Amino acid sequence: MKTAVKLNKTLVQRASRISEHAGYSSVEEFIEHIIEKELAHFEDSDSKEEVVKKLKGLGYLE
Amino acid sequence: MKRRDILLSLCAVALLLYGARHSHGNLQLAYIGPGAGFAFLGSFLTLLTSLVLSVVSLLAWPFRMLWLLVRSKQGYRKARVKKLIFLGLDGFDPGLAERFMAEGKLPNLSRLKEQGSYTKLRTTFPSLSPVAWSTFATGVNPAKHNIFDFLNRDLKTYVPELASSKVRPPHRILKLGKWRIPLSRPSVEMRRKSEPFWKILGRHSIGCTVLRLPISFPPDEFNGRQLSAMSTPDLRGTQGSFSHFSTHVETGHVEGGSRYPLRRAADCLEGDLEGPENAFVEGSGAMHIPFRILHAEDPERASLELQGESYPLRPGEYTPWVRLRFHGGVGVSVHGIARFLLTQTVPEVSLYCTPIQIDPESPALPISQPAYYAIYLSKLLGTYATLGMAEDTWALNEGAIDDDAFLQQAELIKCERESMFLNALQHTRRGVVACVFDTTDRVQHMFYRRLDAGDGRVIEALYRDMDRLVGETTKYVDDHTALFVLSDHGFCSFKRGVNLNSWLHQNGYLALLDGARESGDYFEGIDWSRTRAYTFGLGGMYLNLKGREAKGTVDPKDAAALRKELIAKLTNLRDEETGKVGIRNVYASGALYQGPYLSAAPDFIVGYAAGYRTSWEAAVGKVTARVFEDNKKAWSGDHCVDPLLVPGVLFSNRKVQAEDPGIEDMAPTALDLFGIEAPAWMEGKSVFRFA
Repeated sequence: MKTAVKLNKTLVQRASRISEHAGYSSVEEFIEHIIEKELAHFEDSDSKEEVVKKLKGLGYLE
Repeated sequence: MKRRDILLSLCAVALLLYGARHSHGNLQLAYIGPGAGFAFLGSFLTLLTSLVLSVVSLLAWPFRMLWLLVRSKQGYRKARVKKLIFLGLDGFDPGLAERFMAEGKLPNLSRLKEQGSYTKLRTTFPSLSPVAWSTFATGVNPAKHNIFDFLNRDLKTYVPELASSKVRPPHRILKLGKWRIPLSRPSVEMRRKSEPFWKILGRHSIGCTVLRLPISFPPDEFNGRQLSAMSTPDLRGTQGSFSHFSTHVETGHVEGGSRYPLRRAADCLEGDLEGPENAFVEGSGAMHIPFRILHAEDPERASLELQGESYPLRPGEYTPWVRLRFHGGVGVSVHGIARFLLTQTVPEVSLYCTPIQIDPESPALPISQPAYYAIYLSKLLGTYATLGMAEDTWALNEGAIDDDAFLQQAELIKCERESMFLNALQHTRRGVVACVFDTTDRVQHMFYRRLDAGDGRVIEALYRDMDRLVGETTKYVDDHTALFVLSDHGFCSFKRGVNLNSWLHQNGYLALLDGARESGDYFEGIDWSRTRAYTFGLGGMYLNLKGREAKGTVDPKDAAALRKELIAKLTNLRDEETGKVGIRNVYASGALYQGPYLSAAPDFIVGYAAGYRTSWEAAVGKVTARVFEDNKKAWSGDHCVDPLLVPGVLFSNRKVQAEDPGIEDMAPTALDLFGIEAPAWMEGKSVFRFA
């Protein structure tokens, strides 16, 4: 699901140019990646118990 | 109108708008998994919203049809084919295929080879399905689509997590006493990046039906149809947890499942089926469904009674899918499906239950695009497995089911898939149909031991059956159709496990706390302040890099030298016990990949020799006393080796002109066949050279 965010037009133009060179499929993907990287600094990680439970049953792992 | 009536009307409109905004294709979505919460709307509201939307949709129908007609004509204007079929056979090995073709056992594939093309298909580094199918979809290397393994790591905690998707609980929850009412929907995040070719084709109004192609949970939002596959969880939020009930076991957990007691009552056996956690009522734990087994000792009369329904339990025969409704409170329920199998009747009684899967007719999480597509398929063809890796390999590893029961289960799942695939072919006059069959992968994983022991009957029957499927598929192929039968990787034996964490520990690159000789799972007991490298997952090895990992020790300026040192020491690493080479090559990922997600990649891709793989313990970040050890599980075949050893196959009804095609070439080929230029970020090239 997507939502619209208003960004500075010049900034988006700059991001557009870089995103293509960097190998992103779109400027949206580039901006999302930057936001995700920043969010990772602030958001809490899943607990080990939660992660282990989610991975349970994956055939390749014991 | 009275004032009260006006207020009620306003409230109704507000609720309607809220429903329209928050309902997902009229489906009630629930977060399933640890710390879960259920998001749901009242059925009346959903019905009312549906009614209004139906009326609007009906009025707009002629205009939409006209618009679609114009658009689709434009979309196919430069097309070189009317129809494109991708039949994916996960893990179909070129060595075995060539052998069986030479023996005349695969007539349909041999015909494709003679009249069209056959070649090996380069796979990805590492040669893993999530990585390779993501490259198939996007036409890019892993550093551009962000899937490097089944697992990725949390750089703050070092705890591995599922690489392909993340389910998060609703972020707004109303607390009323012990009740927890979600005010927002759970979110399911797709971590595969870049753009699959079906989205690009969809924008050109070229219809695509994409069935069970790995790494498709949550499904892509695009102009087409898709059914999710690998990484779709079960109803408990795991990757597949079976339940094993018996009169002679106590409650306990085993790998991939749980054991529960069957209680002897006056005239029956009683048990409780554990479902997902009830996050709607705080502290209430998991939801359960009680059941009874009647006449367990009598094969003619044995039956399972559950939620007011009775199901015959025939020896050695699975029940049909049983619909399960877990009640979380007044008006709150979560729907699942499972099959049961009576595995033992004397002297003790045992009942196996498959992982409880998301009910496609009432999906607790999004599993299709559009949302109603999963329901449509279920209503049309009958219900079907929805779990990402539906064949229960752990139940066989743990002895909850035997070889025959596993094969029967795999066959049932394959038949469901085949019905969907053939149905899509029947109804596709033009556009793309892509479907992946996992049976080939799962059966080879579990039965390579028999091939190694000189009994190739199971594997041969599997390859013959896939050849029959190819024959069925070719009935839908004409001169205007391009057909590809392909696999993401090949297969080989898995006899010995390699624990690189143990090797790193023994060679001074990884340290344990308090001088211990072994660690726990998921790096429990690792002294990160003295650790320079570590491994988990199936294909990679990582440096503990300063500025990247939370407790990194390796200065980035020293990383290149350390990489070189480790590659030199690990290349051609010998298994002292057998005298054979266990690791053929170690590849620096910086030399393999290029793209914006490179920093998430492992620093090395380890190329194990045939017969070797990362050990079960190393895959979950554990240090053990031994580096090499025997693999004693039924899971006896694998492909997590040097990718140069396990290419896939590529058959086509057309002449493939590329000399060394790779799986990254499939997406640009699909675009090329419809006359659409591949975008600049796509790396693969069309396998055809059109003038």
